[in-house]
Amino acid sequence: MATEKRDKEEEEVKTDDGSLKIKPRPIVQLGIFLVAHSPVFSVVFSAAGVLALLILPLLAKNTYISENALMPGSARSMLSNRDVSDGSKLVKDIKNYRLNHEGQVQKLIGKYMSEMGAEVYYQKFHPEGNQFHPLHFFSGPDSYTLLDNVSCASYGVNVAGIIRAPRGDGKESIVLVTPYDFINGGDYEALSLGITGTLFSLLARVTWLSKDIIWLVADSRYGDYRPVAAWLTEYHSPSFKDSDLLKCGELNTADKFRRAGTMAAALVLKVDGRSERFEDTLSIYAEASNGQMPNLDLINVVNYLAVHRQGFYVKVEKVVSLLSSSWLKIIGEIFEAVGKLAHTLNPDWNFGIPTADYLEGSATLASSLYSQALGIPTGPHGAFRDYQVDAITLKVSPRFPPDSKTRQHDFFLRGAKLLEGTIRSVNNLLEKFHQSFFLYLLTSPSKFISVGVYMIAFALLVASLPMVAASLYIDGCKALNNSTLNPAGNFKSWKWLDAAKQVFALHLFGLIVTLLPYFICQVPGQHSPSNRSIMWGTTSSSLLLITFATIPGCSPFSSRRHGTNWAVLKSVTISAAFIGLCLMSIINFATAEIGALLLVPTCLIVQPIKPALRSRRIKSLLGAFCSMVLLTIGFPVMLFAISKGLFGEGLVGLSLGGEFWTWLESLWAWKSATYLYIGMVHLPCWLLCLCILFHPS
Amino acid sequence: MADVGGDMAEKELEKPTYGFWIWAMASVILRLFFIFYFPENFKLSSRPEVSTPLTSVRRLAEGYWLKQSSMSPYAGSMYHGSPLLLSVLGPLTSQWIEGQSSHHLCSLVFVFADILSALLLRAIGQKLQKTYSMNLKRLGVLRSSGDRGILPCGDIAALVYLWNPYTILSCVGLSTSPIENLAVIVSLYGAVTRRVPLAAFGLITATHLSLYPASLAIPLILLLGYGLDAHPLKNFLHTRDRGVETGSTSDVSKQDKLTRTTQLPFLWRTVLHFVFWVLVLSICVLVLCSLSLKQYGGLEEMFKRTYSFILNIEDLSPNIGVFWYFFAEAFESSRNYLLIVFNLYILLTSLPPLAFRFKHRPCFLAFAYLVMSSIIKSYPSGGDAALYLSLWALFVNELSDMNNLFFILCGHIGVSLLSPVVHNIWIWRGTGNANFYYGNAMGYVCFQFMFVEESVNAMLDHDKALEKATGKMTKN
Repeated sequence: MATEKRDKEEEEVKTDDGSLKIKPRPIVQLGIFLVAHSPVFSVVFSAAGVLALLILPLLAKNTYISENALMPGSARSMLSNRDVSDGSKLVKDIKNYRLNHEGQVQKLIGKYMSEMGAEVYYQKFHPEGNQFHPLHFFSGPDSYTLLDNVSCASYGVNVAGIIRAPRGDGKESIVLVTPYDFINGGDYEALSLGITGTLFSLLARVTWLSKDIIWLVADSRYGDYRPVAAWLTEYHSPSFKDSDLLKCGELNTADKFRRAGTMAAALVLKVDGRSERFEDTLSIYAEASNGQMPNLDLINVVNYLAVHRQGFYVKVEKVVSLLSSSWLKIIGEIFEAVGKLAHTLNPDWNFGIPTADYLEGSATLASSLYSQALGIPTGPHGAFRDYQVDAITLKVSPRFPPDSKTRQHDFFLRGAKLLEGTIRSVNNLLEKFHQSFFLYLLTSPSKFISVGVYMIAFALLVASLPMVAASLYIDGCKALNNSTLNPAGNFKSWKWLDAAKQVFALHLFGLIVTLLPYFICQVPGQHSPSNRSIMWGTTSSSLLLITFATIPGCSPFSSRRHGTNWAVLKSVTISAAFIGLCLMSIINFATAEIGALLLVPTCLIVQPIKPALRSRRIKSLLGAFCSMVLLTIGFPVMLFAISKGLFGEGLVGLSLGGEFWTWLESLWAWKSATYLYIGMVHLPCWLLCLCILFHPS
Repeated sequence: MADVGGDMAEKELEKPTYGFWIWAMASVILRLFFIFYFPENFKLSSRPEVSTPLTSVRRLAEGYWLKQSSMSPYAGSMYHGSPLLLSVLGPLTSQWIEGQSSHHLCSLVFVFADILSALLLRAIGQKLQKTYSMNLKRLGVLRSSGDRGILPCGDIAALVYLWNPYTILSCVGLSTSPIENLAVIVSLYGAVTRRVPLAAFGLITATHLSLYPASLAIPLILLLGYGLDAHPLKNFLHTRDRGVETGSTSDVSKQDKLTRTTQLPFLWRTVLHFVFWVLVLSICVLVLCSLSLKQYGGLEEMFKRTYSFILNIEDLSPNIGVFWYFFAEAFESSRNYLLIVFNLYILLTSLPPLAFRFKHRPCFLAFAYLVMSSIIKSYPSGGDAALYLSLWALFVNELSDMNNLFFILCGHIGVSLLSPVVHNIWIWRGTGNANFYYGNAMGYVCFQFMFVEESVNAMLDHDKALEKATGKMTKN
């Protein structure tokens, strides 16, 4: 909003230039000043934006529990050995059953649940394939589409049990999810059933519950996410037609799909692998689609209970390769030194943190930014966020091998106690989570950066765009006034029209390129990803050639008479990039931040290369070289290859096109807005920068 | 985006004969494509930017269903439109084309309405352009008749109307605003071509459908009384040149320069004719309405459910206007006071001053009124923007020196794109709240204000520049 306002001021200035009769207001004067010195200020602002991003780990605050009603850890745990032995028995039964029988483990779990006194039902679902729906972001959660002719060959069965709360009115619920592969689930996976079984045994007899408890054992044969999403879709949008799936298999699922009111929170529990550390490790995954996060309070409660009550080692994802990077280490040391210096100057200034902490924080922050920017949920909890339910995935790695009986008892007890405490806190809630933050980045499980802080980095980065756009506009208009080629002499305010036409044409092109994969997927026959990417590449480039050929003045290689003034073109391009980035920052901040890091310098630095080559001065040659480098990096495929290389996933080969296609496919299948950003903001702006670079001026 | 149509139109300057028709056909094909192939899960027809409680066809279908089952169409606060529109469009909503499941017949009617509006706009524009060049010639500013400086504003306006994303969305998105826009344009067309009954018919229909176009009565009367848009000097020069002014055969005596503006000839007879027709037609409409609502409470029910619904701002569901939020927050006790203040504000601050300032340019006055009413409407939608943007394009010649146009365009694009995003954040994702959406609505209103303000300024500057030019001429 602030930048927009400044933009407004500048636009006012722009038109008044030269013929100012009255003395302008101070804010307008400030605008004039900023626009007049835009090269300096744009460099300063961009540098400050990057610096602010690097400084973020220093500005992270400790998390705190914002909602008073939660009161984590205040109640004594009621878990007894009987509950644990129930859970252990369930795990043992499952193991034995799978050794002796083929088929439905679901029945066994269902039986266990109903013995505990829960209402049990089975849900059959069909795992739908990847579909092209990038625009689903705007349409909300889609209603359940019944597939008419589904085959019985592939379907999954979820089991869900509901404990009705003795003190509740059945209008609210808490969901526990344990993904389990009924066909080939390992021993570790069964442990998650054990923990939840233990907890379920307790919850079935406690008196303090005021929200119903739903335990969903999701059939994770087709991935963790799909079964949970299918269950949620049916939960929220009931279908009144009998699905063909009901007839499949021996398990009769014709009984009613039961519901338990709105969901207050959901916890997904997974047990996998052995912990590398001495303690049991608990990893928290929170990112849902399009960088949405659950309320910070949920993470806080889990983190508090895990660390202070149950003694887990809690971690969140981090980019491991950053921990050993030397340049980040140098930056960390500089910050540490500055912090120490500041502390000696004034003992109240305590912003310095040790280099190791800085590295750790940056690595976590980078991972947080990356997974938010990708827009792909990091676990089954992502499905809940589409229905505004706060959910996280807890991945526990025990420090013992799965067959050790003695350790297992202790592990079940602690895991169930953690879940019990969390459920007890959520049970206390009178409203849904709203007190704490929804927009934040994590730098460690107990440290976060709120939106007010991290927005600064982005705002500084994009602040230079409207400034430079205004200044270029003024320059371009002056140049056009001097030239005699101007066709519409008396249309003072229409000089940007040709440039706007070009920008619009290329954005339209971007839209078409974005939608092309839908049609490519419709091409009959099996095609490999690399074939599809070749199809995509050829159609888009021929489309681009058609665009350049049909719209005069659009191509960078057109004759000079048709060409627009490059300054005006750059100004309009920058305005388009500014609008696109600001929009994206609201949809998915992390994408916008990373996109701005790439797009802003490119847009600012790009200039026609011909005059630079002609002048042969070091400065202009350097500028041309920089813009060439930035433009090379900016091409989306190139960017993909470089990021692959950075994350150390092997060298780039011929299969790059195929890999790129697969990556994009994952983006649109997960309804990520990042795909739209790449196609409709990044690609057109990149092309426009290319046009400016090869502008015949 | 709005001016992209303008771009295309301008490109077609060289060959105006085919170009217009090609682009118009292309826009129709685009609409038909969208109607039949638009992905349904966007639910365009329930977006607040496209359809309001007054214009939603979904609600109209509901009202028709209620009426078919012999209940009042207004029962249950679903439908709030005109009973006559219900009788006309209602049957179409219940008839399905083979294999199609939604209101495609209605959409086809809207496409037809859009085409008709565009053609009428083109006719208005051609008339205005002719008058403009004639006036310029008479003033001596324009030397040769074949001067290429004058743009074919009719074609541009029609294409801006047809290619405006707002128009396309409201046409495709099952909102009745194409019909309301058509009524407004018909009234203007009638007045421009001096077909008095047609003008009265358009005015009455538009007012009946959405009430706010009632303010257009002033520009229409001025248009019929004084003739088409012209420079205030026209009479002074007119008498000197013995030319025939369009429609106004006046016999004004030679006046001094100082008093000339007060002595514009006003054709009382035409205006009285117009008023007579307005009265006759409004009685007709009322009689028809009372007939169609005979069993359901009659006219009183209609007034309560339509006009009172508009003025009382009863539906507080979010839209792109500014009132819903305000009245959702306001205390019940002060509600009446605020209602009176807001409604009077529209009447007193925007209508009379503009009328005094622009009585020599009634068409432009109509444009300004439409923008104002779109800003302070109780249930605005994108369709209103579509209408005034195309009327604005009628004055490309006069407004060629408008300031800040690029900035306003960028702002409009930004705000229009931001609106669905913020709505999504608020309604579906829960990470935003109503303030986000309301902030966006305020931004939209600000940009509209800037747009009308700059247009008015540019028009006044244009008049001043002409005056200066003619002043030089007469001295020479």
